[in-house]
Amino acid sequence: MNETSRIRILIVGVIVISLFSALFARLWYLQVISYEKFEVAAEGNRIRFVPREAPRGRILDRRGRILVDNRTANVVAVSRSLVGDERDRVVAELSQLLRLSVAEIEDRLEDFRYADFRPIPVATEVDEATLVAIREREDRLPGVEAIQSPVRVYPHGYLGAHVLGYVGEINDQELEEREDEGYELGNTIGKVGVERAYETDLRGTPGVERYEVDRSGQVVRELGEEESQQGDDIQLALDLDVQRSAEIALESFVQLARGQGKPATGGAVVALDVTTGGVVAMASYPTFEPSGFVHGISNETWERLNRPDCNLPLNNRAIQGLYPPGSTFKIVTSLAGLRTGMITPETTIVDQGSIEIGDRQFRNAGGKSYGRVALPRALTVSSDVYFYSLAKAIDDLSVGQEEEIQNVARLLGFGEPTGIELPFEQDGRVPDREWKRSVHAANPDAFPEGNWFTGDTVNIGIGQGDLLATPLQVATAYATLANGGFEYEPHLGARVIDRFGAVLREVDPEVISEVPIDPAWQSAILGGLRGTVAHQEGTAFNAFQGYRGPAVAAKTGTSQIRGREDTSLFVGMFPADAPKYVVVAVVEEGGAGADIAAPIVRHVIETIVSTEGDPQLPPIGTVIAPLGSTSAPVPEQGATAEPVPDGLVPDETAAAGCAGP
Amino acid sequence: MTVSSVPTRRHNPIVFADWILVGASLLLSIIGLVMVYSSTQHRLAFQGEDANYFLVRQASFLVLGLALMALMIYVDYRVLRDLSPVIYAAAIGVLFLVLSPLGTATRGAQARFDLGLLQFQPSEISKIVLILAVASFCYQYRGDLDAWRLAQALGMAAVPMGLILLQPDLGTAIVIAATLLGILLVAGARPRHLGVILLFGATSLVGVVAVGALEDYQVDRLTSFVDQSSDLQTSRYNLQQSKIAIGSGGVFGKGLGNGSQTGLSFVPEQHTDFIFTAVGEELGFVGSSLILALFGVVVWRTWRIAQLAKDPFGTLAATGVLVMIAFQVFQNVGMSMGIMPITGIPLPFLSYGGSSMLASLAGIGLVVNIGMRRYT
Repeated sequence: MNETSRIRILIVGVIVISLFSALFARLWYLQVISYEKFEVAAEGNRIRFVPREAPRGRILDRRGRILVDNRTANVVAVSRSLVGDERDRVVAELSQLLRLSVAEIEDRLEDFRYADFRPIPVATEVDEATLVAIREREDRLPGVEAIQSPVRVYPHGYLGAHVLGYVGEINDQELEEREDEGYELGNTIGKVGVERAYETDLRGTPGVERYEVDRSGQVVRELGEEESQQGDDIQLALDLDVQRSAEIALESFVQLARGQGKPATGGAVVALDVTTGGVVAMASYPTFEPSGFVHGISNETWERLNRPDCNLPLNNRAIQGLYPPGSTFKIVTSLAGLRTGMITPETTIVDQGSIEIGDRQFRNAGGKSYGRVALPRALTVSSDVYFYSLAKAIDDLSVGQEEEIQNVARLLGFGEPTGIELPFEQDGRVPDREWKRSVHAANPDAFPEGNWFTGDTVNIGIGQGDLLATPLQVATAYATLANGGFEYEPHLGARVIDRFGAVLREVDPEVISEVPIDPAWQSAILGGLRGTVAHQEGTAFNAFQGYRGPAVAAKTGTSQIRGREDTSLFVGMFPADAPKYVVVAVVEEGGAGADIAAPIVRHVIETIVSTEGDPQLPPIGTVIAPLGSTSAPVPEQGATAEPVPDGLVPDETAAAGCAGP
Repeated sequence: MTVSSVPTRRHNPIVFADWILVGASLLLSIIGLVMVYSSTQHRLAFQGEDANYFLVRQASFLVLGLALMALMIYVDYRVLRDLSPVIYAAAIGVLFLVLSPLGTATRGAQARFDLGLLQFQPSEISKIVLILAVASFCYQYRGDLDAWRLAQALGMAAVPMGLILLQPDLGTAIVIAATLLGILLVAGARPRHLGVILLFGATSLVGVVAVGALEDYQVDRLTSFVDQSSDLQTSRYNLQQSKIAIGSGGVFGKGLGNGSQTGLSFVPEQHTDFIFTAVGEELGFVGSSLILALFGVVVWRTWRIAQLAKDPFGTLAATGVLVMIAFQVFQNVGMSMGIMPITGIPLPFLSYGGSSMLASLAGIGLVVNIGMRRYT
């Protein structure tokens, strides 16, 4: 071999050595220096996490009785791996077995919202016979499986519908709001009511299934599962029996009013524990079936539930209904008079049946005259002239005191949401000079007058004018008076309980504001209110004929809205000397307070009295640990174990087409 | 005490065979068997097929390859040298045949004969044939490669390269080009000429890409290594997956059969062209380095034989085999790690495939042959 060849072979060697060095260097860079980055990338490729929703916690009444539960529903699901002719064949066969059209099944299978990797549910609530039929054809239906899935159950039908609320599939907005809480499309979420207010507690901890997938996303094997944890139970301050009696009484007297030719388009009942603010009952009529929402509600039904001529059954009138409080507002005017020193409980006014203020005549309802009246009797007989005069006197006070009625109203919680856990609560309205000026400035056509007149104050003095309040605000104001001046935030929840029955959290009563109420004033007002039912002159004397429970302090209200039938209101508190409960009933366009609302309240009070002392009922505060995650309770009255396809309770007198098919 | 006898031409030449070279090649082939099995077992099992399918076939290729290697060792390389024109002509014929309807098209390339149970890819073995032919041609004009003779040598290579490009199999054509350059360099081609050839080769490659003579996927594969951050295109995605596989192996690897990137098909062709990803992922830096080192041993022993060869033909043929193997290793491993363009060429000894196995072992056989007959 010559010298040139030797050198040239050497060159080849050098080139090869440098190329191999480059390979080593690159290998070192990838495997030693960048290892962690690539390791993460490789694991991310390989593993897919599929969250699994937990069964929701239950909702219990204050005696531990189940209001909302879960049950297992049979769901037929189809695997995503099914493709081509085989899929067409399976869908065709399933369509016959499940009595669904091929298009319906295909729509489900095409729905991008279902999470990857998990089989897509094509039919829920599949009966046992169909399930057996599907299992028998297992070999001809590859990729089809039966899944047990937890479903919300409402063992008491529409009882407490507005309070309990319902669940549904999460929407885009909710998804955005709860971005950090691990929700996914297709998840169930509380939409309204307690289901929504206590979503975080009820939801539980979703489980995670881990799958190993290959490049095409096909599941190669399951890597394991973290079990989901059932959500915590919520015990409410609500009492099942009281709630039921409130709903039955409300419905009955609405129907009665309708029978008397009144429109009676709807109504609400609220019962509060005045020592805590706990909501013992909250009813709204017309109502709906929460179970109608379990598998999603049809557009048609949804539309019907939102039609004004069907009286908007989804509205919770206890917190969304706005009514002039009428004479029930007179306790506010009373307190304002006492606070300004315009009156003492003994100050008398001569009621001649009417009074002229400015150039207007203000009359008592029915034109009656009560002669010389002091505060208690003015309340008992509901003398308008007394409160007209008082309101005028307050209006005549110097700047700073002239709006004392409005000030007291606000102190007692009117004009702003009470703060109950429920969504969509209305503000109500306490009109004053500033308000009148601003609405006139904003919209002179609708509000042609921007100046405040004495007549405005006088109207407010008896709960009329532009004053608006929700039934819950009325109840809160009376509860504050009843307990001596503590305005509690009304609340539905009492405590959160884990699935082993341990109390995780108490919902403590929260005082929003303290209203200084002199005990002498309180007893004078309560005394007058007591006369409402106890005294022959009292506006609700007849309504409480034969009542045998503890003494009740009450106030009727019959408020006017131009062009409509009167709103019927009634507030009752008992025991009258140291009230524990306040019950408010309001029936829209129902007529006089004493005729319609008063008997509803009486009925609810009687139920509270009889159940409080009933040794056969579980005591208040009873906590029962779930027997199993999906214990099916024994259905009680009004219970439907089967889902009701429609979300509306038949209401014969509402406009045609409001009741479901 | 006796003086150990110096080997002489009286001995059977097998005494002088380079067993280190044979051993390293054999070891690489056996590691290849393991890696082929490891990277395909899960996929086959998941598809409900025999998990040993590729293992059994690759093992039979190894047996066939060892037989061919034995033959290449047994027949004196000078006989091969003298027969090279005949062998060359036969190879050209076969390359024509594969383009005819007798050949089979797989994945867009008309590159194989389907022999029922087995397939044969003539381009692989034609690399060895061309090494023999060019080395033999240069040997005739030892040390004196003027422009005309150089042109003749290039023409000899151009025919099979052209036929292989028609299949099209760009990777093998590039390997042949590199091998040819290596032989010509050692054969004494003038640096000026070599420069012109390099320039011409580069220009024509760019020209071929620009004119669109290549299939789209080939262009994608060739250029994807330039912009590696984007995974929009499949080849970029594939390259990314390949790097993830190797990188995630770390220092010690995930263990045999535990590679998720290769086992779950995130890396395509994980048992053929991308077998090194399985090595990197499952055996880690330690195992990968060991395999590169074994290749280093093969190259080193071949280089040594090129120097010790009795005649220039031996030197040139050994150089050809050296460049062929070294270039394929660099190109294949480099492509898996994203420092070379993706061209479909197998990793010698390790990649699944009979023709490649036969070609590599035949090449080693030829080198061992040259080495052991250095005295005779």
